[in-house]
Amino acid sequence: MSEMKPTKEIIIELLKQVIDPELMVNIVDLGLVYDIKIQDDKKVIQVEMTLTSAGCPLGDMILADVECVLKEQVEGYSIMVYLVWDPVWSPDLLTQAGKSALERF
Amino acid sequence: MQQIASNNAPSPLVVVPHFIVGGLIWVLVTALIVVFPDSFTQHYFNPQLLAITHLLVLGWITMVIFGALYQLIPVIMEVKLYSEKLAVISLVSLAIGTLLLAISFWNFWLGTTMILAAMFLLVSVSVFSFNVFQSALQSANESIEKQFIQTSIVWLVFTIVAGVTLAFNLTAVFLATPHIELLKLHANAGVVGWFIQLIIGVSSRLVPMFMVSHNLDKSKLKVAHVLINIGLILSVLSIYLQWKLGVVVTAIILLSGIGFFVFFIIDSYKNRIKKQLDIGMKQSVFSFFMLFLGLFIFFFLILTTDLFESLTAQLSIALVSTLLIGFITSLIMGQTYKTLPFIIWLHVYRNRIGKSDIPFPKNLYSELISKTQLVFFALGFLVFFAGILMLNEFIITLGGVLMFISSVLYSFNTIKIIKHKAKLYE
Repeated sequence: MSEMKPTKEIIIELLKQVIDPELMVNIVDLGLVYDIKIQDDKKVIQVEMTLTSAGCPLGDMILADVECVLKEQVEGYSIMVYLVWDPVWSPDLLTQAGKSALERF
Repeated sequence: MQQIASNNAPSPLVVVPHFIVGGLIWVLVTALIVVFPDSFTQHYFNPQLLAITHLLVLGWITMVIFGALYQLIPVIMEVKLYSEKLAVISLVSLAIGTLLLAISFWNFWLGTTMILAAMFLLVSVSVFSFNVFQSALQSANESIEKQFIQTSIVWLVFTIVAGVTLAFNLTAVFLATPHIELLKLHANAGVVGWFIQLIIGVSSRLVPMFMVSHNLDKSKLKVAHVLINIGLILSVLSIYLQWKLGVVVTAIILLSGIGFFVFFIIDSYKNRIKKQLDIGMKQSVFSFFMLFLGLFIFFFLILTTDLFESLTAQLSIALVSTLLIGFITSLIMGQTYKTLPFIIWLHVYRNRIGKSDIPFPKNLYSELISKTQLVFFALGFLVFFAGILMLNEFIITLGGVLMFISSVLYSFNTIKIIKHKAKLYE
């Protein structure tokens, strides 16, 4: 991974490794990732994301997991994870895979 | 945009002992049901039943609620708990006060031991209330859930003060109202004002969160809050002044208030995205069916007031058992699987994130044992309930044995979750 230039698509695939421990679905399919900005010149990756509910007790763990996964797999880049509440998460943001997984588990 | 939020969760060393002590006392309560079934076939004002009831409400239910609330304050109020030291003081005084009170009731010692127990309980509740209200003051969040928690604590304080007054009144009668009627006032404030209001506050946040239900109409909760608190104030006045019509009106107001909460939960269930319920939520659903049973008995009871005293006395035991064991105990056991594994999991794996070998919180306990525990509990409670209505000691014992097995299985799973932490301390 360190050899490659990170793209938005690669980052999204990497973020699928981060699982919400309560819902047991990855944060991409849950629709928690709002935006990804990659600044190659400054070697910075910014992830803007939310949680399914405010005060989620696992929120810190999920955010730290995002940072950890990207730091480990995208060498040479600083990772900035931002938690936002606007827009508020809603089930409409789930992907089809996310919906199916929530119905299954 | 906001940077990663700081972690507000309290130390597991504050929260977990509440689950251990509470679980042990729940095992003790079921054992007492097995050995002393006759406590449930006499009038409810008997020493053994008073001792068992106070072990149940203080040693088990209140104990676990205190612990769980310390963990949930950051979730519901979005602030840190004001003081962990105060939480420990409250835990120790609650444990000592409960045991002393149970011993006093069992032996019907109405003097120093009972007053000493009451003082320990007063200290515990005062410290707990101060801690929660100080935390609430730091919170800008003004949600209906927070309001339910705050008013429930006001009713907890009222219940304990009423209990202490009753203890003095038993020693030397100074109140004009009959003691049995005052006992109803104390029980109503405790069960509806403290337990049910707190459960509404906590579960109206947690149930939609666990089921992933969104866009729910919270106005139902606001109506429930107003009705329940008006009903409670009227109930105190009606019971104290022995105003029979007031008691009936009060009961209807309280039932309507609880009904609005039930509608909110049904909405949440219908709108859930997560279709499959795990074992913790299944047991919680069972507890709500038991709430319906309790409400039905409550309704029947107010219609038969004073008509058949022998019947209403037995129905009163059945009602309180249904609310305290069928509903609240079942809900606590179910929600233990939704909170305790997360508390331990967060503590153990906080510094190991990003590793692929981390188990999920649900892997911290045995699902087979939790399912077996639910089956034994559900069967046990229904048999126990039938035994109370039939005044049959053998059936009560049988129900008690099944619930005892369930309580042991619950404790086994609780210890298994907690031991998961111990392994990683090495």
